[in-house]
Amino acid sequence: MAYSPDQNPPLVFNRELLKKHRNRAAQNFDQFSFLKQRAAQSMVDRLEDISTSFNRVLDLGCHSGTLEKEIAKSQTIKNRVKDTFHCDISYKFTAQIVGMAIAVDEERLPFKSSSFDAVFSCLSLHWVNDLPGTLIQIKNILKPNGLFIGQLLGGRTLHELRTCFIRAETEIRGGASMRVSPFADVQDLSNLLQRAGFSNPVADTETINVRYSHPLKLLQDLRGMGETSALFINKENRPPNLTRTILFRALEIYGEQYATEDGKYPATFEIITASGWTTSPNRFLNKE
Amino acid sequence: MTNSKDSKSGIDPRLLEVLICPASRGPLSFDKENNELVSKKAGLAYPIRDGVPIMLIDEARELEEN
Repeated sequence: MAYSPDQNPPLVFNRELLKKHRNRAAQNFDQFSFLKQRAAQSMVDRLEDISTSFNRVLDLGCHSGTLEKEIAKSQTIKNRVKDTFHCDISYKFTAQIVGMAIAVDEERLPFKSSSFDAVFSCLSLHWVNDLPGTLIQIKNILKPNGLFIGQLLGGRTLHELRTCFIRAETEIRGGASMRVSPFADVQDLSNLLQRAGFSNPVADTETINVRYSHPLKLLQDLRGMGETSALFINKENRPPNLTRTILFRALEIYGEQYATEDGKYPATFEIITASGWTTSPNRFLNKE
Repeated sequence: MTNSKDSKSGIDPRLLEVLICPASRGPLSFDKENNELVSKKAGLAYPIRDGVPIMLIDEARELEEN
């Protein structure tokens, strides 16, 4: 029954490429962290409603430590969290953390069973290939009565950009390739939590509309956040290169299709927040 | 266990309490001399940079067999 990461789920994302994007984003992240901040604030709001104290917290996908900074601003929560273990696949992010940090691949968590009272993950798990497997691992490293809250980008994220790329590429090349990552939806997520064995799984969604002066600014932001596409590409499935012609046609379509009267370009981000608890003592506790 | 005054080498003992090898899920031992976390079971040594253990399999050093 114990989860083995060697069951080879299909690879959608190239984790090596993700690491590169994150390392690059680490240089200047605070200029591009508005989405992460927004999600972290929403995480803090939720924690304020829970009166539990947490001795050991795992921050999975910590970026520059945004979540901890938000927690530190809340009088009601900061005293309830004792030790935070910060993790990111990018060493350059972990190097910015004041406190304990570990470079970790979310697909292979290097922690003993029943190590943490809570695992919080703020906008990182949408890059995981095997989300069910990662959720099972998270449940395993939580103590009984432990809390997991995870925030992921959901399926409506960047739907404008996705549509424009597909239309531009179809016009010019007669067929389209995947240029924007696939994302999970709310229903998937609460099902996955349930299947991973969490009790009281809840998932909800929040839509954030950002208005850009130009769609290129959106692309710049995605780069700055370390969120540019990291799809897994090999020789067999390599899509044709994204040419300038296609890119500029896509940006043109963005304007035609979505620009508002005051000349702004809206972009949608959907943040799905899912949470669940571990209740009964973990049956695999002594198998380590 | 470690000398936490030295930030360049060493590791927070609280990390040693929770960490295991991500490849074998076996225990780790702290090699003070090389500043690495060693997984005998997987034959891998994970580097520690400025107090941050790099628990990534592709960045671990393969141990020579003896």
